[in-house]
Amino acid sequence: MSDWIAIGALAAVGLLIPIGMMTVSALLRPSVPETGKSTTYESGETPTGGTKIRFNIQYYMVALLFVVFDIETVLLFPWAVIYRPAIQAGVPMTALLWPMLAFVGILAIGLVWAWRSGAISWARSPRATSRKTERDLN
Amino acid sequence: MGTAPAQLFPEFLVETFGLPGVLGEVVAALIAAAVVGNIVLAFTGVAGPWAKRKITAAFTDRIAVNRVGPFGLLIIPASAVQLLAKELIVPEGVDRPAWDIAPVILPASALLGFSVIPMGRLGPINFHLADPEVGFALVFAFASIASVSLVMAGYASNNKYSLLGGLRAVAQNLAYEIPLIVTAMSVVLFAGTLQMSGIVSAQTTTLVTIAGFDIPAWYAFVNPFAFVLFLTANMAEIGRNPFDIPEAPTEIVAGYQTEYSSAYFVLFYLGEFVHIFLGGAILAVTFLGGASGPGPESIGFIWFVVKIWGFFLFTQWARSALPRVRIDQLIEIGWKGMLVLSFANLVLTAVIVGVIA
Repeated sequence: MSDWIAIGALAAVGLLIPIGMMTVSALLRPSVPETGKSTTYESGETPTGGTKIRFNIQYYMVALLFVVFDIETVLLFPWAVIYRPAIQAGVPMTALLWPMLAFVGILAIGLVWAWRSGAISWARSPRATSRKTERDLN
Repeated sequence: MGTAPAQLFPEFLVETFGLPGVLGEVVAALIAAAVVGNIVLAFTGVAGPWAKRKITAAFTDRIAVNRVGPFGLLIIPASAVQLLAKELIVPEGVDRPAWDIAPVILPASALLGFSVIPMGRLGPINFHLADPEVGFALVFAFASIASVSLVMAGYASNNKYSLLGGLRAVAQNLAYEIPLIVTAMSVVLFAGTLQMSGIVSAQTTTLVTIAGFDIPAWYAFVNPFAFVLFLTANMAEIGRNPFDIPEAPTEIVAGYQTEYSSAYFVLFYLGEFVHIFLGGAILAVTFLGGASGPGPESIGFIWFVVKIWGFFLFTQWARSALPRVRIDQLIEIGWKGMLVLSFANLVLTAVIVGVIA
Protein backbone atom coordinates (compact mmCIF):
# COMPACT_ATOMS: atom_id res chain seq x y z
CA MET A 1 0.00 0.00 0.00
CA SER A 2 2.77 2.43 0.86
CA ASP A 3 4.17 1.84 -2.66
CA TRP A 4 1.22 3.62 -4.20
CA ILE A 5 1.32 6.40 -1.61
CA ALA A 6 4.95 7.03 -2.60
CA ILE A 7 4.11 6.99 -6.33
CA GLY A 8 1.23 9.38 -5.70
CA ALA A 9 3.55 11.62 -3.68
CA LEU A 10 6.04 11.82 -6.56
CA ALA A 11 3.15 12.55 -8.94
CA ALA A 12 2.15 15.46 -6.69
CA VAL A 13 5.75 16.72 -6.52
CA GLY A 14 6.10 16.24 -10.27
CA LEU A 15 3.05 18.45 -10.89
CA LEU A 16 4.01 21.01 -8.24
CA ILE A 17 7.46 21.66 -9.71
CA PRO A 18 6.29 22.78 -13.18
CA ILE A 19 3.27 24.64 -11.83
CA GLY A 20 5.50 26.36 -9.27
CA MET A 21 7.93 27.39 -11.99
CA MET A 22 5.07 28.77 -14.09
CA THR A 23 3.80 30.74 -11.08
CA VAL A 24 7.21 32.19 -10.21
CA SER A 25 7.73 33.14 -13.83
CA ALA A 26 4.28 34.77 -13.99
CA LEU A 27 5.27 36.97 -11.02
CA LEU A 28 8.66 37.91 -12.48
CA ARG A 29 8.15 38.36 -16.18
CA PRO A 30 7.21 41.56 -17.97
CA SER A 31 4.34 41.85 -20.42
CA VAL A 32 4.90 44.10 -23.40
CA PRO A 33 2.06 43.51 -25.84
CA GLU A 34 2.91 44.62 -29.35
CA THR A 35 1.22 44.00 -32.64
CA GLY A 36 3.04 41.53 -34.80
CA LYS A 37 4.81 39.94 -31.87
CA SER A 38 2.17 37.30 -31.39
CA THR A 39 2.02 35.94 -34.93
CA THR A 40 3.14 32.35 -35.25
CA TYR A 41 6.66 31.75 -36.51
CA GLU A 42 6.93 30.93 -40.17
CA SER A 43 10.54 31.76 -41.02
CA GLY A 44 9.86 35.49 -40.68
CA GLU A 45 7.14 35.54 -43.34
CA THR A 46 3.51 36.41 -42.66
CA PRO A 47 1.85 33.09 -41.84
CA THR A 48 -0.41 31.76 -44.56
CA GLY A 49 -3.49 29.93 -43.33
CA GLY A 50 -3.89 28.02 -40.09
CA THR A 51 -3.02 24.54 -39.03
CA LYS A 52 -6.57 23.30 -38.58
CA ILE A 53 -6.40 21.68 -41.98
CA ARG A 54 -6.70 18.21 -43.43
CA PHE A 55 -3.35 16.55 -43.60
CA ASN A 56 -2.05 13.21 -44.74
CA ILE A 57 -1.62 10.94 -41.73
CA GLN A 58 1.18 8.87 -43.16
CA TYR A 59 1.19 6.33 -40.41
CA TYR A 60 -2.52 5.57 -40.12
CA MET A 61 -2.02 1.91 -41.00
CA VAL A 62 1.05 1.80 -38.77
CA ALA A 63 -1.06 3.09 -35.88
CA LEU A 64 -3.57 0.29 -36.41
CA LEU A 65 -0.74 -2.25 -36.44
CA PHE A 66 0.66 -0.67 -33.29
CA VAL A 67 -2.58 -1.27 -31.38
CA VAL A 68 -2.48 -4.95 -32.30
CA PHE A 69 1.17 -5.40 -31.33
CA ASP A 70 0.75 -3.37 -28.17
CA ILE A 71 -1.98 -5.69 -26.96
CA GLU A 72 0.24 -8.60 -27.89
CA THR A 73 3.09 -7.32 -25.70
CA VAL A 74 0.71 -6.77 -22.79
CA LEU A 75 -0.52 -10.36 -23.13
CA LEU A 76 3.05 -11.67 -23.37
CA PHE A 77 4.18 -10.07 -20.11
CA PRO A 78 2.49 -12.59 -17.76
CA TRP A 79 3.95 -15.40 -19.86
CA ALA A 80 7.44 -13.91 -19.55
CA VAL A 81 7.10 -13.60 -15.78
CA ILE A 82 6.07 -17.22 -15.15
CA TYR A 83 8.36 -18.75 -17.80
CA ARG A 84 11.51 -19.33 -15.73
CA PRO A 85 9.77 -20.33 -12.46
CA ALA A 86 7.62 -22.79 -14.43
CA ILE A 87 10.66 -24.41 -16.07
CA GLN A 88 12.40 -24.64 -12.70
CA ALA A 89 9.26 -26.30 -11.34
CA GLY A 90 9.66 -29.03 -13.97
CA VAL A 91 7.29 -28.05 -16.78
CA PRO A 92 8.83 -29.16 -20.13
CA MET A 93 10.14 -26.26 -22.22
CA THR A 94 8.17 -27.14 -25.36
CA ALA A 95 4.88 -27.04 -23.45
CA LEU A 96 5.68 -23.43 -22.51
CA LEU A 97 7.16 -22.36 -25.86
CA TRP A 98 4.60 -23.63 -28.39
CA PRO A 99 1.63 -21.50 -27.27
CA MET A 100 3.81 -18.36 -27.34
CA LEU A 101 5.29 -19.25 -30.73
CA ALA A 102 1.82 -19.81 -32.17
CA PHE A 103 0.63 -16.50 -30.73
CA VAL A 104 3.62 -14.53 -32.05
CA GLY A 105 3.45 -16.46 -35.32
CA ILE A 106 -0.10 -15.36 -36.08
CA LEU A 107 0.93 -11.72 -35.63
CA ALA A 108 4.11 -12.29 -37.62
CA ILE A 109 1.95 -13.45 -40.54
CA GLY A 110 -0.06 -10.25 -40.10
CA LEU A 111 3.15 -8.23 -40.19
CA VAL A 112 4.29 -9.99 -43.38
CA TRP A 113 0.94 -9.19 -44.99
CA ALA A 114 1.19 -5.53 -43.93
CA TRP A 115 4.77 -5.39 -45.18
CA ARG A 116 3.87 -6.84 -48.60
CA SER A 117 0.86 -4.56 -49.01
CA GLY A 118 3.06 -1.54 -48.31
CA ALA A 119 1.27 -0.48 -45.12
CA ILE A 120 4.49 0.11 -43.19
CA SER A 121 6.22 2.16 -45.86
CA TRP A 122 6.11 5.93 -45.95
CA ALA A 123 3.23 6.68 -48.33
CA ARG A 124 3.51 9.47 -50.87
CA SER A 125 0.49 11.70 -51.00
CA PRO A 126 -1.22 11.89 -54.42
CA ARG A 127 -0.37 15.59 -54.59
CA ALA A 128 3.33 14.97 -53.98
CA THR A 129 3.33 12.25 -56.62
CA SER A 130 1.61 14.44 -59.22
CA ARG A 131 3.95 17.34 -58.50
CA LYS A 132 6.92 15.05 -58.95
CA THR A 133 5.62 13.86 -62.32
CA GLU A 134 5.08 17.44 -63.46
CA ARG A 135 8.62 18.33 -62.55
CA ASP A 136 9.96 15.24 -64.24
CA LEU A 137 8.11 16.12 -67.47
CA ASN A 138 9.80 19.52 -67.55
CA MET B 1 15.47 -14.73 -4.88
CA GLY B 2 17.85 -12.44 -3.04
CA THR B 3 17.77 -11.66 0.65
CA ALA B 4 15.20 -9.61 2.57
CA PRO B 5 13.95 -6.67 0.50
CA ALA B 6 15.86 -3.46 1.16
CA GLN B 7 14.14 -0.81 3.20
CA LEU B 8 12.56 1.81 0.93
CA PHE B 9 13.17 5.53 1.36
CA PRO B 10 9.72 6.43 2.83
CA GLU B 11 9.88 3.47 5.25
CA PHE B 12 13.28 4.67 6.40
CA LEU B 13 11.84 8.13 7.14
CA VAL B 14 8.85 6.65 8.98
CA GLU B 15 11.17 4.59 11.15
CA THR B 16 13.77 7.30 11.80
CA PHE B 17 11.34 10.05 12.74
CA GLY B 18 8.67 7.78 14.22
CA LEU B 19 5.86 9.14 12.03
CA PRO B 20 2.62 7.40 13.05
CA GLY B 21 -0.27 6.06 10.97
CA VAL B 22 -1.33 6.74 7.40
CA LEU B 23 -0.70 10.47 7.76
CA GLY B 24 2.88 9.71 8.78
CA GLU B 25 3.26 7.54 5.68
CA VAL B 26 1.94 10.30 3.45
CA VAL B 27 4.26 12.89 5.00
CA ALA B 28 7.25 10.55 4.70
CA ALA B 29 6.34 9.76 1.09
CA LEU B 30 6.06 13.47 0.25
CA ILE B 31 9.44 14.26 1.83
CA ALA B 32 11.09 11.33 0.07
CA ALA B 33 9.46 12.30 -3.24
CA ALA B 34 10.65 15.91 -2.86
CA VAL B 35 14.22 14.71 -2.21
CA VAL B 36 14.23 12.36 -5.22
CA GLY B 37 12.57 14.97 -7.43
CA ASN B 38 15.15 17.58 -6.48
CA ILE B 39 18.06 15.20 -7.05
CA VAL B 40 16.79 14.62 -10.59
CA LEU B 41 16.23 18.36 -11.08
CA ALA B 42 19.79 19.02 -9.88
CA PHE B 43 21.07 16.61 -12.56
CA THR B 44 19.09 18.40 -15.25
CA GLY B 45 20.24 21.76 -13.88
CA VAL B 46 23.87 20.74 -14.34
CA ALA B 47 23.23 18.94 -17.63
CA GLY B 48 21.07 21.51 -19.44
CA PRO B 49 22.69 24.95 -19.21
CA TRP B 50 26.25 23.79 -18.52
CA ALA B 51 27.30 20.19 -19.30
CA LYS B 52 25.54 20.01 -22.67
CA ARG B 53 27.21 23.21 -23.87
CA LYS B 54 30.61 22.20 -22.54
CA ILE B 55 30.40 18.77 -24.17
CA THR B 56 29.22 20.11 -27.53
CA ALA B 57 31.98 22.72 -27.37
CA ALA B 58 34.58 20.03 -26.71
CA PHE B 59 33.35 18.11 -29.77
CA THR B 60 33.51 21.18 -32.00
CA ASP B 61 36.83 22.45 -30.57
CA ARG B 62 35.47 25.47 -28.73
CA ILE B 63 35.54 26.53 -25.06
CA ALA B 64 31.90 27.55 -24.39
CA VAL B 65 30.63 29.00 -21.09
CA ASN B 66 33.65 30.12 -19.03
CA ARG B 67 32.90 33.69 -17.90
CA VAL B 68 30.51 33.26 -14.96
CA GLY B 69 32.10 31.58 -11.97
CA PRO B 70 34.61 28.70 -11.91
CA PHE B 71 34.42 26.70 -15.17
CA GLY B 72 31.39 28.82 -16.00
CA LEU B 73 29.34 26.86 -13.46
CA LEU B 74 27.41 29.89 -12.22
CA ILE B 75 25.75 30.01 -15.64
CA ILE B 76 23.29 27.52 -14.11
CA PRO B 77 21.56 29.92 -11.67
CA ALA B 78 22.05 32.77 -14.15
CA SER B 79 20.23 30.86 -16.88
CA ALA B 80 17.47 29.81 -14.50
CA VAL B 81 16.75 33.40 -13.46
CA GLN B 82 17.11 34.71 -16.99
CA LEU B 83 14.74 32.17 -18.54
CA LEU B 84 12.11 32.47 -15.82
CA ALA B 85 12.11 36.28 -16.13
CA LYS B 86 11.55 36.23 -19.91
CA GLU B 87 8.31 37.50 -21.34
CA LEU B 88 5.82 34.82 -22.29
CA ILE B 89 4.62 35.38 -25.84
CA VAL B 90 1.29 33.70 -26.49
CA PRO B 91 0.88 33.33 -30.25
CA GLU B 92 -2.39 33.99 -32.05
CA GLY B 93 -4.89 31.18 -32.31
CA VAL B 94 -3.30 28.75 -29.84
CA ASP B 95 -5.60 26.16 -28.33
CA ARG B 96 -5.39 27.60 -24.83
CA PRO B 97 -5.89 24.90 -22.20
CA ALA B 98 -3.95 22.31 -24.20
CA TRP B 99 -1.14 24.76 -24.96
CA ASP B 100 -0.69 25.46 -21.23
CA ILE B 101 -1.02 21.87 -20.01
CA ALA B 102 1.49 20.32 -22.44
CA PRO B 103 4.61 21.79 -20.75
CA VAL B 104 3.43 20.45 -17.38
CA ILE B 105 2.88 16.90 -18.60
CA LEU B 106 6.37 16.32 -20.05
CA PRO B 107 8.47 16.93 -16.89
CA ALA B 108 5.76 15.50 -14.59
CA SER B 109 5.53 12.19 -16.47
CA ALA B 110 9.31 11.81 -16.71
CA LEU B 111 9.73 12.56 -12.99
CA LEU B 112 6.97 10.09 -12.18
CA GLY B 113 9.05 7.35 -13.82
CA PHE B 114 11.70 7.79 -11.12
CA SER B 115 9.23 6.64 -8.44
CA VAL B 116 9.97 2.96 -9.11
CA ILE B 117 13.67 3.25 -10.01
CA PRO B 118 16.00 1.73 -7.40
CA MET B 119 18.74 4.34 -7.28
CA GLY B 120 20.87 2.54 -4.71
CA ARG B 121 22.18 3.34 -1.27
CA LEU B 122 24.10 6.28 0.07
CA GLY B 123 24.93 5.46 3.67
CA PRO B 124 21.75 4.34 5.44
CA ILE B 125 19.38 5.80 2.85
CA ASN B 126 18.11 3.63 0.02
CA PHE B 127 17.01 6.00 -2.76
CA HIS B 128 14.05 3.93 -3.88
CA LEU B 129 10.57 5.35 -3.43
CA ALA B 130 8.32 2.44 -4.29
CA ASP B 131 8.77 -1.18 -5.28
CA PRO B 132 5.43 -2.49 -6.58
CA GLU B 133 5.30 -5.92 -8.19
CA VAL B 134 4.52 -4.38 -11.59
CA GLY B 135 7.27 -1.77 -11.35
CA PHE B 136 8.99 -2.75 -14.58
CA ALA B 137 5.82 -2.41 -16.67
CA LEU B 138 4.90 0.78 -14.82
CA VAL B 139 8.12 2.62 -15.65
CA PHE B 140 7.60 2.13 -19.40
CA ALA B 141 4.00 3.30 -19.04
CA PHE B 142 5.14 6.49 -17.28
CA ALA B 143 7.93 7.10 -19.79
CA SER B 144 5.58 6.96 -22.78
CA ILE B 145 3.16 9.58 -21.42
CA ALA B 146 5.72 12.11 -22.70
CA SER B 147 4.59 11.71 -26.30
CA VAL B 148 1.08 12.84 -25.31
CA SER B 149 2.65 16.12 -24.25
CA LEU B 150 4.50 16.46 -27.55
CA VAL B 151 1.34 15.87 -29.56
CA MET B 152 -0.63 18.35 -27.43
CA ALA B 153 2.06 20.99 -27.86
CA GLY B 154 2.34 20.34 -31.57
CA TYR B 155 -1.36 20.46 -32.28
CA ALA B 156 -2.25 23.36 -29.94
CA SER B 157 0.49 25.72 -31.13
CA ASN B 158 -1.21 26.71 -34.40
CA ASN B 159 2.15 26.52 -36.14
CA LYS B 160 3.00 24.31 -39.11
CA TYR B 161 6.40 23.32 -37.77
CA SER B 162 4.88 22.39 -34.43
CA LEU B 163 2.18 20.32 -36.12
CA LEU B 164 4.82 18.43 -38.11
CA GLY B 165 6.88 17.91 -34.95
CA GLY B 166 3.88 16.52 -33.06
CA LEU B 167 2.99 14.13 -35.89
CA ARG B 168 6.59 12.96 -36.10
CA ALA B 169 6.61 12.33 -32.34
CA VAL B 170 3.65 9.97 -32.73
CA ALA B 171 5.15 8.13 -35.70
CA GLN B 172 8.41 7.70 -33.82
CA ASN B 173 6.80 6.39 -30.66
CA LEU B 174 4.61 3.96 -32.58
CA ALA B 175 7.66 2.59 -34.35
CA TYR B 176 9.86 2.12 -31.27
CA GLU B 177 7.58 1.33 -28.37
CA ILE B 178 7.07 -2.33 -29.33
CA PRO B 179 10.77 -3.21 -29.92
CA LEU B 180 11.65 -1.44 -26.66
CA ILE B 181 9.16 -3.39 -24.56
CA VAL B 182 9.70 -6.73 -26.30
CA THR B 183 13.46 -6.40 -25.73
CA ALA B 184 12.83 -5.51 -22.09
CA MET B 185 10.65 -8.63 -21.90
CA SER B 186 13.66 -10.78 -22.75
CA VAL B 187 15.19 -9.50 -19.51
CA VAL B 188 12.03 -10.47 -17.63
CA LEU B 189 12.50 -14.01 -18.99
CA PHE B 190 15.87 -14.16 -17.21
CA ALA B 191 14.77 -12.46 -14.01
CA GLY B 192 11.32 -14.05 -13.72
CA THR B 193 9.85 -10.98 -12.04
CA LEU B 194 8.57 -7.50 -12.85
CA GLN B 195 9.68 -6.09 -9.52
CA MET B 196 12.53 -3.60 -9.95
CA SER B 197 14.45 -4.81 -6.88
CA GLY B 198 14.11 -8.38 -8.17
CA ILE B 199 15.54 -7.46 -11.58
CA VAL B 200 18.50 -5.73 -9.93
CA SER B 201 19.20 -8.53 -7.46
CA ALA B 202 19.04 -11.11 -10.27
CA GLN B 203 22.09 -9.37 -11.76
CA THR B 204 24.28 -9.56 -8.65
CA THR B 205 25.66 -13.05 -9.26
CA THR B 206 29.03 -13.57 -10.92
CA LEU B 207 28.91 -14.51 -14.59
CA VAL B 208 32.53 -15.56 -15.16
CA THR B 209 35.84 -14.91 -13.47
CA ILE B 210 38.59 -13.80 -15.83
CA ALA B 211 42.10 -13.62 -14.31
CA GLY B 212 40.73 -13.24 -10.80
CA PHE B 213 38.41 -10.42 -11.87
CA ASP B 214 34.72 -11.13 -11.35
CA ILE B 215 32.42 -10.10 -14.20
CA PRO B 216 28.93 -9.60 -12.76
CA ALA B 217 25.92 -11.14 -14.49
CA TRP B 218 24.64 -7.82 -15.78
CA TYR B 219 22.21 -8.47 -18.60
CA ALA B 220 24.37 -6.31 -20.87
CA PHE B 221 27.03 -9.03 -20.56
CA VAL B 222 24.58 -11.93 -20.53
CA ASN B 223 22.73 -10.75 -23.64
CA PRO B 224 24.71 -8.02 -25.46
CA PHE B 225 22.48 -8.24 -28.53
CA ALA B 226 19.42 -7.29 -26.47
CA PHE B 227 21.45 -4.48 -24.89
CA VAL B 228 22.26 -2.92 -28.26
CA LEU B 229 18.65 -3.27 -29.41
CA PHE B 230 17.37 -1.72 -26.20
CA LEU B 231 19.89 1.12 -26.36
CA THR B 232 18.79 1.98 -29.90
CA ALA B 233 15.08 1.82 -29.09
CA ASN B 234 15.72 3.85 -25.95
CA MET B 235 17.38 6.64 -27.94
CA ALA B 236 14.26 6.78 -30.11
CA GLU B 237 11.97 6.66 -27.10
CA ILE B 238 13.61 9.70 -25.53
CA GLY B 239 13.94 11.41 -28.93
CA ARG B 240 17.71 11.94 -29.04
CA ASN B 241 20.06 11.76 -32.04
CA PRO B 242 20.03 9.98 -34.37
CA PHE B 243 16.29 9.90 -33.68
CA ASP B 244 15.60 13.53 -32.75
CA ILE B 245 13.19 13.99 -35.64
CA PRO B 246 10.29 15.46 -33.59
CA GLU B 247 12.59 18.41 -32.89
CA ALA B 248 14.93 18.34 -35.90
CA PRO B 249 16.26 21.91 -35.60
CA THR B 250 17.66 21.94 -39.13
CA GLU B 251 14.39 20.83 -40.71
CA ILE B 252 11.41 22.12 -38.75
CA VAL B 253 12.89 24.94 -36.59
CA ALA B 254 12.26 23.40 -33.16
CA GLY B 255 9.37 21.05 -33.86
CA TYR B 256 6.68 20.94 -31.22
CA GLN B 257 8.32 23.62 -29.03
CA THR B 258 8.66 26.30 -31.73
CA GLU B 259 6.01 28.57 -30.21
CA TYR B 260 7.01 28.23 -26.57
CA SER B 261 8.94 30.88 -24.66
CA SER B 262 9.77 31.83 -21.07
CA ALA B 263 8.93 29.30 -18.33
CA TYR B 264 6.99 27.14 -20.78
CA PHE B 265 10.10 26.63 -22.89
CA VAL B 266 12.15 25.92 -19.75
CA LEU B 267 9.68 23.19 -18.79
CA PHE B 268 10.02 21.48 -22.17
CA TYR B 269 13.79 21.76 -22.07
CA LEU B 270 13.90 20.46 -18.49
CA GLY B 271 11.40 17.71 -19.23
CA GLU B 272 13.55 16.47 -22.09
CA PHE B 273 16.57 16.20 -19.82
CA VAL B 274 14.57 14.44 -17.10
CA HIS B 275 13.43 12.07 -19.84
CA ILE B 276 17.05 11.42 -20.91
CA PHE B 277 17.99 10.64 -17.32
CA LEU B 278 14.93 8.41 -16.95
CA GLY B 279 16.01 6.56 -20.10
CA GLY B 280 19.47 6.17 -18.59
CA ALA B 281 17.98 4.96 -15.31
CA ILE B 282 15.83 2.34 -17.07
CA LEU B 283 18.88 1.20 -19.03
CA ALA B 284 20.99 1.01 -15.86
CA VAL B 285 18.39 -1.02 -13.97
CA THR B 286 17.60 -3.34 -16.87
CA PHE B 287 21.03 -4.06 -18.29
CA LEU B 288 23.76 -2.53 -16.12
CA GLY B 289 22.99 -4.03 -12.74
CA GLY B 290 21.25 -1.00 -11.24
CA ALA B 291 23.31 0.47 -8.43
CA SER B 292 25.83 -2.38 -8.22
CA GLY B 293 29.52 -1.75 -8.63
CA PRO B 294 32.86 -2.26 -6.92
CA GLY B 295 32.98 -1.30 -3.26
CA PRO B 296 30.43 -1.64 -0.46
CA GLU B 297 26.70 -1.57 -1.13
CA SER B 298 26.37 1.70 0.78
CA ILE B 299 27.93 3.72 -2.08
CA GLY B 300 25.66 2.19 -4.72
CA PHE B 301 23.99 5.53 -5.37
CA ILE B 302 27.29 6.92 -6.65
CA TRP B 303 27.60 4.05 -9.14
CA PHE B 304 24.03 4.67 -10.25
CA VAL B 305 24.77 8.35 -10.84
CA VAL B 306 27.90 7.38 -12.79
CA LYS B 307 25.81 5.05 -14.97
CA ILE B 308 23.06 7.53 -15.80
CA TRP B 309 25.61 10.26 -16.49
CA GLY B 310 27.43 7.78 -18.69
CA PHE B 311 24.22 7.37 -20.66
CA PHE B 312 23.80 11.15 -20.81
CA LEU B 313 27.34 11.52 -22.20
CA PHE B 314 26.52 8.82 -24.74
CA THR B 315 23.48 10.79 -25.94
CA GLN B 316 25.62 13.90 -26.23
CA TRP B 317 28.27 12.00 -28.19
CA ALA B 318 25.51 10.75 -30.49
CA ARG B 319 24.25 14.32 -30.84
CA SER B 320 27.62 15.49 -32.12
CA ALA B 321 28.66 12.41 -34.06
CA LEU B 322 25.65 10.81 -35.72
CA PRO B 323 23.49 12.17 -38.56
CA ARG B 324 19.72 12.26 -38.09
CA VAL B 325 17.68 9.56 -39.84
CA ARG B 326 14.77 10.63 -42.03
CA ILE B 327 11.22 9.99 -40.85
CA ASP B 328 10.53 7.41 -43.57
CA GLN B 329 13.83 5.67 -42.77
CA LEU B 330 12.83 5.66 -39.11
CA ILE B 331 9.51 3.93 -39.84
CA GLU B 332 11.34 1.32 -41.91
CA ILE B 333 14.09 0.74 -39.32
CA GLY B 334 11.47 0.45 -36.58
CA TRP B 335 8.92 -1.79 -38.23
CA LYS B 336 11.03 -3.84 -40.64
CA GLY B 337 14.24 -4.10 -38.65
CA MET B 338 13.91 -3.59 -34.91
CA LEU B 339 10.50 -5.24 -34.52
CA VAL B 340 11.61 -8.44 -36.26
CA LEU B 341 14.94 -8.47 -34.43
CA SER B 342 13.33 -7.90 -31.05
CA PHE B 343 10.92 -10.82 -31.50
CA ALA B 344 13.79 -13.01 -32.71
CA ASN B 345 15.69 -12.01 -29.59
CA LEU B 346 12.69 -12.86 -27.41
CA VAL B 347 12.26 -16.34 -28.88
CA LEU B 348 16.00 -17.05 -28.76
CA THR B 349 16.23 -15.88 -25.16
CA ALA B 350 13.27 -18.05 -24.23
CA VAL B 351 15.00 -21.10 -25.73
CA ILE B 352 18.32 -20.29 -24.01
CA VAL B 353 16.63 -19.71 -20.64
CA GLY B 354 14.72 -22.97 -21.12
CA VAL B 355 17.94 -24.89 -21.79
CA ILE B 356 20.09 -23.44 -19.00
CA ALA B 357 17.44 -23.06 -16.29
